[in-house]
Amino acid sequence: MTDAPAPRPSDSSPTRRGFLGAALGAAGVVAAGGAGFGIAKATESTPSPAAAKVAPSEVAFYGVHQAGIATPAQDRLAFAAFDVTARDLRALQAMLGSWAAAAARMSTGQLIGPTETAPQAPPVDTGEALGLAPGNLTITVGFGPSLFDDRFGLAAKRPGALAPIPTLPGDALDPSRSGGDVGVQACSDDPQVAFHVIRNFARIARGTAVMRWSQLGFGRTSSTSTTQATPRNLMGFKDGTNNIKAEDTAVMNDFVWVGEETDQPWMKDGSYLVTRRIRMLIETWDADYIADQQRVFGRFKDTGAPLSGRNEFDRVDLDASANGQPVIPADAHIRLAAPGNNNGQKILRRGYSYTDGNDPTTGQLDAGLFFIAYQKDPRRQFIPIQTRLGGNDALNEYIKHVGSALFAVPPGLSGPGDWFGKALFA
Amino acid sequence: MSTFVRRAVAVAALGAAVVTTLSACGSSKKSSASPSRSASATSNTRTVEVAITSDGCKPAQSSYDAGPLTFSVKNTDATAVNEIELLSGERIVGEKENLPAGFSGSFALSLPPGEYTLYCPGATTEKTTLKIIGTAATASASSDTSQLLAQGTKQYADYVNSQVSELIAAVKPLDTALKTTDLTAAQNAYKQARKYYERIEPVAESFTNGSDNLDSDIDARQDDVPANQWTGFHRIEKGLFQDNSLSGLAGYGDGLLANVAKLQTLTAGLAYQPAELANGAVDLLDEVSKTKITGEEERYSHIDLLDFSANVEGSEQAFACLEPALEKIDPTLTATITSAFNALDAALDKYRSNSDASGFVLYSTLTDADKTALSQLVQAVDEPLSTVASKVVTS
Repeated sequence: MTDAPAPRPSDSSPTRRGFLGAALGAAGVVAAGGAGFGIAKATESTPSPAAAKVAPSEVAFYGVHQAGIATPAQDRLAFAAFDVTARDLRALQAMLGSWAAAAARMSTGQLIGPTETAPQAPPVDTGEALGLAPGNLTITVGFGPSLFDDRFGLAAKRPGALAPIPTLPGDALDPSRSGGDVGVQACSDDPQVAFHVIRNFARIARGTAVMRWSQLGFGRTSSTSTTQATPRNLMGFKDGTNNIKAEDTAVMNDFVWVGEETDQPWMKDGSYLVTRRIRMLIETWDADYIADQQRVFGRFKDTGAPLSGRNEFDRVDLDASANGQPVIPADAHIRLAAPGNNNGQKILRRGYSYTDGNDPTTGQLDAGLFFIAYQKDPRRQFIPIQTRLGGNDALNEYIKHVGSALFAVPPGLSGPGDWFGKALFA
Repeated sequence: MSTFVRRAVAVAALGAAVVTTLSACGSSKKSSASPSRSASATSNTRTVEVAITSDGCKPAQSSYDAGPLTFSVKNTDATAVNEIELLSGERIVGEKENLPAGFSGSFALSLPPGEYTLYCPGATTEKTTLKIIGTAATASASSDTSQLLAQGTKQYADYVNSQVSELIAAVKPLDTALKTTDLTAAQNAYKQARKYYERIEPVAESFTNGSDNLDSDIDARQDDVPANQWTGFHRIEKGLFQDNSLSGLAGYGDGLLANVAKLQTLTAGLAYQPAELANGAVDLLDEVSKTKITGEEERYSHIDLLDFSANVEGSEQAFACLEPALEKIDPTLTATITSAFNALDAALDKYRSNSDASGFVLYSTLTDADKTALSQLVQAVDEPLSTVASKVVTS
């Protein structure tokens, strides 16, 4: 990046890049804890010069792929879906351009613009992240199927893989928590930094797009890197032990990144994002006895080991039986979700636990999993997998899918001057 | 708090208050298409190529001949820069907004000789000098703008005075009705009077001097002030629409009339700064967001849409008074705000109804989705409008 913060008191956003990050070579950065960069490097054929300087707690914004997919899952999430209200194509493009410029700056812990331009003008940045480290902030933007209607003449640019998700077994979707023309995922280890992104994006969008729904996630439920331990979901289980790990380049290329096979070249090196708000019926679950809880998941609660093994990463033996019964029950979550039962398909899960207080009508906790998955083609991955799970999963007694969205996440930005979806509008 | 800061004590009690024009600046409503500036783009128009980088905004040449100029601006890679302004002294004479890295745009204007500054906030070097040489072919663009702003502020003063006169004229029958036994007549008189106050509320709000808070005396809602000090419109509203009784309201009517007369004394002869108009226009929309969208303003009568629409009209009037000058400074921004106001007006029009004396359906009949849509339309005006004050500062 060539734009250093201007040397004046009003833009005193400390650049945490410092000379250390700049001085270290790529290997040094990985050693210093910039795992996100290391992974980006591993999957990048031509890293942009802009990605050359990354300090600890920063993830390179520019690159072949958008950050926030292969990046080791950060602790916190702020997600928002927007509907475009403007009918002027240039306004939409300028919004995406302003988002890209702001995202590049926020990713390095800088204000998106000066606090003081004129005494009578509001500050460009809202200011609440000033002085906070980026906390591995990543900002990932995608386009929903609805954007490709007749408003902007994009119908012919809609990838086949972006076909709307059909109603799936067990769906109880609330339209006001589903869909959207544009989706924004902001992840950081600092919740205020993540929220700052959504707030400033919404402000930049005013007059062009309105927020359709938003979701905060307070704790990651997935590990997407071999460097991370598997976290627990709100049911107390390790779910996602066998998640795709970003270090496995071949698996990433086979199941996550869009390749040459795409019908829409603008999506090459992108990915498809599915979000599902999955409400957990916490009170009912808490009253379930431990043996049943373990049968529902197919894992031991404390160790996370499959019921067929002793340690978390032991192979899931779906054939194991005892007393003529399968050790991992026929309707156990890990059996139905296993790639072996889904034509070998896998998805990269990157979800977060959420709570939005309690349900005003029942008094029960409104909490659960904000499921996020990245994949090459939802028609072969999420949709068939969830069709199986939604029909048969023992877990269905304790969960409810209440929100759903799908976004085509275009490839990464090459450097300053590039913006989200530039190739789509070209 | 209001952004209007009173510098001078008002003069005569009547003075300019005899003005009865309702619409001093003309509404911006129907003029959505901003006049093209191509009029100035004659054959002798020259182009000033400006490149914005993170280092700064650099014109291709350091000086140009006076006359019509088109500024063609490209932001190549400056992620912190989103706009460029052309300044004469501290005043903006032209600008282009919404120019993030990777985008281009242009603005055209006719410049007399002098020293100007290209200002791109956020760059390492924010200001670059641009010299305009030769002789002035046309009248000075900057003095034009100053005259238009001066004219606009005078027109706004006339507008405020006319609204205060109308307010007094509408509070008198309310005060009279409160002394009768006709509840419906009093309720209708209440609804007739509200809009004149809501159109100019930020001006009234500016008269806060210790315990002498005129806005509070006229417009406080229940619990805004201690119960024994609660007076004004909303105390009367509670009696008329919740207690459904005229009992004990006559005194409040007399008090309200005295206070609006006092408002007239204070506002007559006031002069306003252009930035005050711009900030006042924003304040009015903030009023909508704070208390009308929530239905708190008219919690007994539910005529919040009347207040809503009056706040918006007042905001449009203040903007309309600045519009001719702003059109010269930033035609794109002017068009953006005008079109956002038009969208808001169109949405409000859908709720107009003869079913209530307020001219609108009662706010209690709106769904949450209706309120969300209105709120988003208000925000769509508010955000660009909040940038106007800095552009019309005269110094």
